[in-house]
Amino acid sequence: MDDRLLIARVQAGDATAARELYDAHVDRVYRMVYRIAGDPDQAKDYTQEAFIRVFERLGHFRGDSSLGTWICAVALSVALNGLRKVRRLRTREVGLDGAVELGATPREAEPDLKIRLARAIDDLPEGYRSVFLMQDVEGYTHEEIGQMLGVQPGTSKAQLSRARAKLRQRLADFAKG
Amino acid sequence: MMLDKDDEPLEPELRDAANAYHRPPEPPREQMWAEIAARRAASGTPRVGARPRRFLIWAAGIAAVLAIGVAIGRLTIRAPIVPPTLPASNPIATNAPREDATAYRVATAEHLGQAEAFLTLFKASVRQGRQEQLASATARQLLATNRLLLDSPAAVDPKLKLLLQDLELVLVQIAQLEPAHRSEDVRLITNGLENGMLVRLRAAVPAGAGATSRQGAL
Repeated sequence: MDDRLLIARVQAGDATAARELYDAHVDRVYRMVYRIAGDPDQAKDYTQEAFIRVFERLGHFRGDSSLGTWICAVALSVALNGLRKVRRLRTREVGLDGAVELGATPREAEPDLKIRLARAIDDLPEGYRSVFLMQDVEGYTHEEIGQMLGVQPGTSKAQLSRARAKLRQRLADFAKG
Repeated sequence: MMLDKDDEPLEPELRDAANAYHRPPEPPREQMWAEIAARRAASGTPRVGARPRRFLIWAAGIAAVLAIGVAIGRLTIRAPIVPPTLPASNPIATNAPREDATAYRVATAEHLGQAEAFLTLFKASVRQGRQEQLASATARQLLATNRLLLDSPAAVDPKLKLLLQDLELVLVQIAQLEPAHRSEDVRLITNGLENGMLVRLRAAVPAGAGATSRQGAL
């Protein structure tokens, strides 16, 4: 169905149309949010919050991008803001504990490439990490990523390049070994 | 493995490992939708078609009647403190109670007309198997006006008082409707409506109450 028509129906209060919109986009949104958050409860919360905002702000959708990209942009914003709050909270908790040693990763404790890579991805700066997950893992184009993050496609490309460089650097000894 | 070509795609081995990073499970679609729908309903988002808009118009109308009710309350409370020393021929002393009674009749006619239409709409919704999300809220607003009218010193007509008291019981039932016990409660309420409340309301409110009541027709 045409996005404009679907939006008009949702705005008119048609519950069936709201469900159609949700069904059409929920898998993609949840998938992306889960990749970013890595936790089922957080992914569920952020997806719900994202759709509630989407329904509230549907009137603001101007059609500059596809509806799906716009919805993903809302979801990405919700997820990244949520994760920042979680991170701040955890940092405070770690600060209070004092004795917790972050980043202590002896090589023998993580022989598996997946574990090494997961830690390296976790340690990427937020922008690099988002672009890497969306492009190299989820397969979005730089144009789509640019629209979701509110940056130029060239910025997205540059961030991906730096993300790959950092990951390769972190995994260099693994590659050699 | 090539580890220095940052503009090139990841090597297959790394790409496979990256795909395992936070691999998403099946989304809990229904669970999430239930939460979204509940939160939208709680925030007053209309759920189906233009139907709830009627209730918004209702709410505005009820708010207007409520304002009239408050005004009546003030008028009728002010009446007894008119100094008793005023001569009987004083126009203020003689006209005030009559004005109060007229204002009360106008407000009551408006209120009963709205209550009658609301209950008719409610009954029709139930018959069609629709769930009125805003019925409880509207009933609460009508209830507030009903109580103001009942408590007014101008409420002297015993038949009218009895009608308002019975209407209060019905409105309380609708206002307290809980989703868990909805169908049984709704059945009891609609039985009550069919057993005379709507007939009594229609008898008390002449056709076109909005216009006629302003002419004192109650």
